[in-house]
Amino acid sequence: MRVVLSLLVFPIWAMAFDQERLLGEKLFSLEIHHLLESKCFACHSEEKGKVKGGLDLTTRNKMLRGGESSDKVLVPGNPEASLLIQAIKWKDPKYEMPPKENDRLYGKQIEAFEQWVRLGAQWPDQESQNRYVEKERSVEVTEEGVLMPTSGGLSDQWTYRRYKPEDLWAFLPIVRPEVHDQTVNPIDFFINENLKEKATVSPAPPADSRTLIKRAYLDLSGLPPTPHQIHEFGLAWKKDQNRAWLTLLDELLASEHFGERSAQHWLDVARYADTAGLSNDYERSNMWRYRDYVVRSFNQDKPYDQFVVEQIAGDELWERQPKEDRNPELLIATSFLRMGPWDPAMVLKHEARQLYLDDVVNAVGQTFLSTTMRCFKCHDHKFDPLPTKDYYRFYAAFSGTQLAERSAPFLKQENLQGMETGQKATRRMLDFAKEKYHQLLEKQEAAAKKWFSDRGKEYLNQNQRRGLPDEEKPPRHVGLSPAETGRMKVRKQDDWIWERRMERYLPLVQSVYNGPLPQKLDARKMRMPEKIGEFETPQTFILMGGSSDAPGDPVSPGVLSALGLSASNHEKDPYSLPKSSSGRRLALARWITHPDNQLSARSIVNRVWQRHFGKPLAGNPNNFGGKGKKPTHPKLLDWLAADFVENGWKFKRLHKLIMSSNAYRMSTKHPHLEKLRQEDPENQLLAYREPRRLSAEELRDALLVSTGELNRSVGGLPVMPEINMEVALQPRMIQFSLAPAYQPSRTPAERNRRTLYAYRVRGQPDPYLELFNQPNPNDSCEERVSESVSPQAFTLLNSELMNDRAIALALRIEEEFKDLRMQVKRAIQLTFGRSPTPVEWERLQDYLGKMRSYHQSSRPTNTEYPTSITRSLVEENTGETFEYEEILPVFENYQKDKKAHEIKADTLALSDLCLLLFNSNEFIYVY
Amino acid sequence: MNPFVFPSLCRRDFLYGLTSSLGSLAMTDLLAKDAPDLKKPMHQPRAKNVIMLFMEGGPSQVDTFDPKPELNKLHKTESKRTGTLEFGEKFFVGSPYGSRKVGQSGLDMSDQWVHLPEVADELCNYRGCYAESLNHPEALFHMNTGSRLGGDPAIGAWANYGLGSENQNLPGYVVMTELALPQGGSRNWSNGFLPGQYQGTRLRPTGSPILDLHGPQHKNRRHQRMALDELAFLNKEHAQAHPYHQELETRMQSYELAYRMQMEVPGVMSLEGESEKTKESYGLNQQETAEFGKQCLMARRLVEKGVRFVQIFSGGWDSHDYLERAHAARIRSVDKPMTALIKDLKNRGMLKDTLVLWLGEFGRTPDNNRRGGVYAIGRGHNNKAMTILMAGGGVKAGAIVGGTDEIGAEAVEVAHPIRDFHVTLLHLLGLDDNKLTYFHGGRYKQLSQFGGQIIKEIIT
Repeated sequence: MRVVLSLLVFPIWAMAFDQERLLGEKLFSLEIHHLLESKCFACHSEEKGKVKGGLDLTTRNKMLRGGESSDKVLVPGNPEASLLIQAIKWKDPKYEMPPKENDRLYGKQIEAFEQWVRLGAQWPDQESQNRYVEKERSVEVTEEGVLMPTSGGLSDQWTYRRYKPEDLWAFLPIVRPEVHDQTVNPIDFFINENLKEKATVSPAPPADSRTLIKRAYLDLSGLPPTPHQIHEFGLAWKKDQNRAWLTLLDELLASEHFGERSAQHWLDVARYADTAGLSNDYERSNMWRYRDYVVRSFNQDKPYDQFVVEQIAGDELWERQPKEDRNPELLIATSFLRMGPWDPAMVLKHEARQLYLDDVVNAVGQTFLSTTMRCFKCHDHKFDPLPTKDYYRFYAAFSGTQLAERSAPFLKQENLQGMETGQKATRRMLDFAKEKYHQLLEKQEAAAKKWFSDRGKEYLNQNQRRGLPDEEKPPRHVGLSPAETGRMKVRKQDDWIWERRMERYLPLVQSVYNGPLPQKLDARKMRMPEKIGEFETPQTFILMGGSSDAPGDPVSPGVLSALGLSASNHEKDPYSLPKSSSGRRLALARWITHPDNQLSARSIVNRVWQRHFGKPLAGNPNNFGGKGKKPTHPKLLDWLAADFVENGWKFKRLHKLIMSSNAYRMSTKHPHLEKLRQEDPENQLLAYREPRRLSAEELRDALLVSTGELNRSVGGLPVMPEINMEVALQPRMIQFSLAPAYQPSRTPAERNRRTLYAYRVRGQPDPYLELFNQPNPNDSCEERVSESVSPQAFTLLNSELMNDRAIALALRIEEEFKDLRMQVKRAIQLTFGRSPTPVEWERLQDYLGKMRSYHQSSRPTNTEYPTSITRSLVEENTGETFEYEEILPVFENYQKDKKAHEIKADTLALSDLCLLLFNSNEFIYVY
Repeated sequence: MNPFVFPSLCRRDFLYGLTSSLGSLAMTDLLAKDAPDLKKPMHQPRAKNVIMLFMEGGPSQVDTFDPKPELNKLHKTESKRTGTLEFGEKFFVGSPYGSRKVGQSGLDMSDQWVHLPEVADELCNYRGCYAESLNHPEALFHMNTGSRLGGDPAIGAWANYGLGSENQNLPGYVVMTELALPQGGSRNWSNGFLPGQYQGTRLRPTGSPILDLHGPQHKNRRHQRMALDELAFLNKEHAQAHPYHQELETRMQSYELAYRMQMEVPGVMSLEGESEKTKESYGLNQQETAEFGKQCLMARRLVEKGVRFVQIFSGGWDSHDYLERAHAARIRSVDKPMTALIKDLKNRGMLKDTLVLWLGEFGRTPDNNRRGGVYAIGRGHNNKAMTILMAGGGVKAGAIVGGTDEIGAEAVEVAHPIRDFHVTLLHLLGLDDNKLTYFHGGRYKQLSQFGGQIIKEIIT
């Protein structure tokens, strides 16, 4: 268009006309013809069989002739008079074309049409069109953008479309940027360079030692430091700041808590949960072994490339090991491929299979390549150089992957505490369900016997009489009232629920294998066949529109071609993966972890950065595409990625590098913050530190650290902390029945483990953790949010959990100090990690005094823990409500936390103060 | 734009509007009581509020509002329909109920509906909608959030995100359920990737209406006030040391808002101000209608107070067997209360601004499989047809829109997927699905996922 405008002032009009004709022809060949074809011909082409409104748009003449409603469809040179233009603009409600909202042309396309008409509606012959097209495609870079070679889209139009270079940043190879100043940490070099370029202020000064130690502790271990640790660090800091800091980092990186904190973020991305979600919400009994595998891997400083390969293809590696040396760890790692919510119940088999494959493909893409794969499942990617063909080539890498609980002996490193008591508790629930079921069954069969004998016939049991015509057997549920029918169904469900939970105590692992698709898909029990004979991995097709009913061209397994990184030596098809049944995933994993894979390295260093700065360098860690947020510091991101790979994909080194920078150690206070707010309102330049709220898990763990209740043991079976009792006992629908109630662990020591180990049920999130933004495990979470909503205030002030912790802290303090003044001081130390200011001290002491007198007359009540509850449920077959009993044996000899009615008024008063400190911003934020 | 939007809270981009943080919301409220956090609709709205009565389990279209004489003739004959989940021998199931035309408009209703005919001429029966999933939680998620996966924002969250809330002391999206949560639980009213204030708040049927709304009973309101004042002191000291981090301020304000909500919520829950006659009309005096009746009455009170979106879940519609008993009992439990709700809204002049919806996650099949070797008179899950009832809020009154085939197996006239239904709901609220988007995970997302069409035939 710019060209045309300049031509308008060109003096020789004849030549201008000629130029216009050429421009019009080019426009038609490159854009208009394709749009007509894809948007109009379906209804306006005799050749294709439909000529709606008598209008055929397939040639210029036919277009000029018009249709039933107008002969001015096309008026060359005059877009305003052309009905075609008015219709595509949806100007007149009678002529809105194309008629579906979703097919509507957008602004640029409409402009192109207008321009085409203005230029005389040129319509060159096919040969000339081809010439224009070929010429355009031979130039790699034009004003419109750059071409990007891929394995090709569904149309040439897509294959040869152009991209803005800045949208392709993630697909470009990593070239390690130069650091021009060897005297500073490279991170500071890049941050300062960027800051100088874009703003006038200098970086914030360093934070003080107390702020820094809390920051480092929470970032690396997820736990706040104790007053003693703060004190020790302060002493070392006074001697030699730098040395104190580096020593602290080494200690924290060597602690087992480092793996726990690192796992938290990884499990957010991987979508960890202990159940399968959806209608049955089946327990995935051994998923905890994967959670601990992740913790171990970080603690061992396992190179990231190895970590990735194990998760995508651990079973294939395992297979290749000598039989006697096979490492179960490799099977545990593949639980990653089992993480999505999935249940084939009431889903057609091929659809259930497709749901799994789509989920796993997207999970692998988002997690390791920061590429949201589902964006090019139904069509070529709208914005990125990712053809739908590549989606299905990636998909084919998993087409022989089957799901199973496989046997894998427990490792020495695995924490098997609580197995025995757990098994006993589960057995008790199972026996109860069985007993109740059999009582009802006996009642039914007694009635059936009577029915048969009344008719002088011989009794036939349920199976024997199944095939008989209705008249020759007793009615279903004979002898049972509707309520009993309902109860029988509930007990039957409970029977298998608990039977299944017994699997927790078996050396099984949620894993995969390569083999043929099983006859029947049932998530209740998935086992690997003993022998897998010869089988053919099914052919994968491009599924048009993502629908399994519309297979298009067949594809072979392969990788994303846009990266330009080959996966094989195959000359014609460098992006192909092996066609053999085993080894597809391994080759894919090796391609993902190839040192030259630009997406993988950027993806992981971006996530690590995010953990330390609260926000990533590239704003959408699960989507590096053109529509995602661009990196704020592209050079820094690339330098970190290159450095990470060159140094063996090691995490601990990277953490230390980042945390020893000045950027990391900056204060949240900046002397010129007002100015910064104008120059950089979003703090994209990182000129100061932003405080962050503790995550849900950190908050609960921090409470336990301050009360001294935290049980620091690592790993093992999921633990059951107390959750809100109303929610714990809240009836919850699952297929055909109600899910069993949530029973917390019996002893405080079991309950007070780190939140990472809390049992995670997709259908029953812990309301407390959910409220503080623990993400929904059905979707990969790239970044936690932390917003303030009033229900948080309710929970932090009123909940049993918080009040119990406040009492625990009060009891701890009382134990240590009898003097009121010292108690106040100690409370501040244990929550804020500092001594009180004189004003605070006075005022809080005063408050404590007021609370003491208030509680002289307060009368706390006891908290009851029921040992059984009565449930009621609408029986779907009768529409009527029925009741049944559920037992809660854990409460029979439950060791509850100390409650308000058991303690003295003075302790209660002190707990009020502790509760306030827990609620304060200073406790809940890290600076 | 409000002056209290803090960079730290606005990490994500907003395409449409700019939500105010709770802090500012509380602040506005302190300065000028009842100053609403309203946003302008995108076009002239037809409805301001929505009351959605969700019949969990999937009510049968042919046994409620879409009678099929042809199907009755086929009763207990063999069915060879394919593509459904029921395996083995199948047979057609005629409706156990009679049907008749009611109201001046002649809407079809099975004879189990005793009260609803009184408001027939306010109702629009839409028969063209179809679902995708065949199982409950996926289908529930789909109808509630536009996505089968669960975890995306619910339609009530989108509505509040688009329009804001009229009452600062109550949540804008309220959910009521039976004692048991529906399948999929709270994911059905999730805020998904939208900010937390748009999450549906469940008013619990027993115990505290909102979790931890009140502290342990030995702490009275005076105690709480003292605690809040002390907390304000601690936070203020602290904020003075960190003057530029406004989210600290936001948190402080959220405590004050919580304090006021403690007063407001019990007021709405209490039905003391309602006359005996009203209570009776909603069926509060009869056991089988009491629960749903109370929820319907509360729904009206909540809408009166400016709550944007109210949802009531009523389960037990999954009649695979004993259809006659089961559906009759379910219909009895909702018939009187929902009739009263529509009448009450009409009498108070609220119906024109309030869209009332009655629907399930999918419909039911015209046939069933033999269970345990006997003719089980019930119906399977059907994702190809369902029936939706609407009233008020800009939809046609006394109208039947769309249609299913001769046996009620598939929607064939004015047939639209759920996403079109969602787009239409937003349209009635004055919102454009294509513009009501939120940037998340690297792209702009919308309720319909990829856009949809307005079902014009429903709208007056």
